[in-house]
Amino acid sequence: MALPPEPLNELLPRSSLIVVAVVVAVLSVGSKPPAPEGAEKLEKGSTSVGQKAAAQKVRLKIERTLKGKATAAEIEVEKPVGAYLLDVGNKGPFFIDDKGVIIGRYGPDTHRAEDIVRALPSK
Amino acid sequence: MPTKLSDNQLNRVYSGLEKQRLTDPSVKLDDANLINVLAAVADTWLKSETKVRAQILAAPTREAKLAIVKNGLSSAEIKDIKKILDEGTVPMSDSAKAFLSEAVGRPFTPPPPPPPPTNGSLKITGDQKVGLSGFAKAGESIEAINLSTSPTGRYHLDDTTEIGKAGADGSFSGKFTGQLNPTREGDILRVRTRDATGKTGDWVTMRAHGISAVDSSNAELAIFRVGVSDAGNGKIDVSNLNASRQISEPGALVRFVNTRTGDAKIVVLTDDGNFPDKTQLAGLPGDAFTVAVSDGTNNKNLAATVGKVTVAIPGDGSDGGVDLPDPKLHKDELNTDGTPKYKEARFRGPLFVSNPSPMDVKQGQIGDCYFPSALAALAQADPSVIRDMIVQNEDKTYTVTFKQKNFSTGKYTDVRVNIDGDLWVRPFGGPLYGSAGNSTELDKMELWFPLLEKAYASWKGSYDAIGNGGSSGRVFQDCMGIDSVTNSIYESKPNELYNMAKASIDAKIPASMGTYGEHDSARYTNSGVYGDHSYSVLNYKTENGKQMLQLRNPWGESEPGNDGVNDGIFWIEASKAAKLFQTFYTVKH
Repeated sequence: MALPPEPLNELLPRSSLIVVAVVVAVLSVGSKPPAPEGAEKLEKGSTSVGQKAAAQKVRLKIERTLKGKATAAEIEVEKPVGAYLLDVGNKGPFFIDDKGVIIGRYGPDTHRAEDIVRALPSK
Repeated sequence: MPTKLSDNQLNRVYSGLEKQRLTDPSVKLDDANLINVLAAVADTWLKSETKVRAQILAAPTREAKLAIVKNGLSSAEIKDIKKILDEGTVPMSDSAKAFLSEAVGRPFTPPPPPPPPTNGSLKITGDQKVGLSGFAKAGESIEAINLSTSPTGRYHLDDTTEIGKAGADGSFSGKFTGQLNPTREGDILRVRTRDATGKTGDWVTMRAHGISAVDSSNAELAIFRVGVSDAGNGKIDVSNLNASRQISEPGALVRFVNTRTGDAKIVVLTDDGNFPDKTQLAGLPGDAFTVAVSDGTNNKNLAATVGKVTVAIPGDGSDGGVDLPDPKLHKDELNTDGTPKYKEARFRGPLFVSNPSPMDVKQGQIGDCYFPSALAALAQADPSVIRDMIVQNEDKTYTVTFKQKNFSTGKYTDVRVNIDGDLWVRPFGGPLYGSAGNSTELDKMELWFPLLEKAYASWKGSYDAIGNGGSSGRVFQDCMGIDSVTNSIYESKPNELYNMAKASIDAKIPASMGTYGEHDSARYTNSGVYGDHSYSVLNYKTENGKQMLQLRNPWGESEPGNDGVNDGIFWIEASKAAKLFQTFYTVKH
C-alpha cells in the first residue's frame, strides 16, 4: 500500500544495523500473501489497494555501514511481507533490526544515505 | 430546561409532557390532555384529583368546567399556570391556551388564522411528479424556491428559479431546474408570480407531493449559522448568524441538549425557517449543546444529531462555535475496543494561501494516494474547481460540495458536506492524514486539501472507507461532475501515453497515472517510483527527441533521480513511464 515512508526518527531507534548494501542473492521466497479484504470491490485500476509482496530471504553485500557492526561482509537477512520485492542488484540503505529483519516500508528506497547520516546522533 | 412548578401534582403532569416531547416532538398541550392539567390544579382538600377530574368531564358547558377549575385553584397554582403560559416548553393549542388564560383571569386573543394557500391569482394544481403546474395571470412568470434544500445550499429566501410563464389561457407548467432540482417528496416550496414590470405577487407556500411514495428526506439544518452566546443569568441567546438565510425549513423542530446538564429544549422554526425572536437556552459560557432537527416526519425522535455548538468563554482564547461530527479514523488507527489511538486538534489556518497548486497537497498516513494525486492534478489543471468546491461559513465551519452521479439517469447532483476544522493529529502535533505543503501548525497550515480529504471521508463514511484504495478517475468525477475516463497504459505504446497526457494538459483537465501492485516481480525497487501508487500528471515536453512527462508523487517527496529538490516532482521518459505505469485517469473532454 503506497503510504509515505515512515519518518527517519521512527526507524532509527528500531534499527540495530544500518548498511548501504547490494542484494547479491535471493535465497528463498515465501508464499504470495492473500488479496486484501475488500479489494475485489474496488474499480479496475485502483491504487493503494494494499496487495503485499511475499517474504524473502536475501544475501546482502555490505558497501558501507552507517550504524552498528555487521558480523561479516555479506549477511543474510529477511525481507518481510510488505509493499516491495527485492531482486539481485537492488541496492541502497537497509535498516535491519536485532532479529535480522529489514524494516522500513520500502526497504532500500525508504531514505537516502546522506539523510540517514545527517539524522544519526553524532558520536 | 424543565419548567419548575411549585404544585407537586401539576409538576408531575407537566414534566411528564416535557419528557414525552424529548422523544416525540409532536406532543403538545391540547384539548385531549388538558384535563390532566385541570384535574391536577382543581383538586381541593375535600375533592381528590380523581374526583375533580370526573366532575370536570361531566360538566355540561365550558363555563361550568371553568367554574370548577377556578374554584379549586390556589394562589400557588395560579402562579404555576401563569408560568406554564409564559415560559412553558410544551406548545399549546389555542383552545387549551384560551382555557388556562381564562382560568387565571387573563385575556386571551387567538392568533390570526394562517393566510389562505393562494393569493387569488396564483393557483397550483396537481402533484409535483414532473414539476409545477397551475394557473396565473396570462403572461406572468412563475418562480419558486425549495425551502427544504436551500438552508445548506446558501440561498437567500428570495433566490428563486423561474418555472415558466403563464400562457394566454393562464395555465403554466415547468420542470424543476436550478435550485429546485432536486425537489423531493415533502419538500416545502415557495412560489410566486412576477409580472412584466417586475412586480411580484404574494408567496404561496406548499409541500411537494406525488414525487415518491414516502417523504424520506429529513429537514436540512445549517448548523454553521447557529450562533450561541452568553446572555447572563444562566441564559444562552440563540441566533441566526446570517438571518437573510434559513436555519432549516419552515416549521422544523430543532432540539438543543445541554451536554453538561442534560436539559433539552425544542424550538419550532418560523415560516422563514429562522429561530423565533428571543430564543434562549439554559446554560453557561463553555457549555456545549448537541443539535438535532426533524421535519416532523423524519427523525421524529430526534435521535440523529447534526452536530454540536459551544458557547464561547470570554477571554479564554476559545472561539466557541460549532463542533461537527468527524469521520472516524482508519481501522489501523483504532484500538481494539474501537477507541481512537490519536487525538484531534482544531486547525484555524487559511483555507487558501494563494491559488491552489499541486504543492499544497501532501498525502498522510493513509492508503488513499488516488485522492491526493487527483486533487494535485486538479489544482494544476483548473484551480477554480477547487476554489468553488469549498467555502468557509460564517461560524468558521466549511461546506464542501461534491457531485454525485445518478447512474440510471447519468445526471449529477450536488452533495454538500459540512465539516469543522478538527483534524486527527500525530503525537508531535502534525496532521495524521493529509496535510499541506506550507506548514503543519494549527494556525498556519493551508487547509483546503486536508479539509477536502476530511469531507470526502465524511461523505463516504470514514477515513477507513477511503483509505484502502480507490481510483483517481472517480475522484475527478466526484469533484467535477464530469464522467471519468480510465485507460490502460501499454508498455509497447509510449507514444499513446504521451498523447493522452498532452491532450489532457492542453485541454486543462486533470490527469493522473496508477502503477501496478508489486506482488509478482521487483518492478519498482530502486526505480524511484512506487508500486500500488498514483501520481499526478503535471506537464509534458519533448526534449532531444524524447517524449517526457512531468509527474508528482502525492507524498510531496520521493522521486526518481536527483533534481536537487526532493518535492516529489520529476520528469520521466514516456517510454520508461509506459513500463512502470498501468492506468491513465482523466475525464471526458
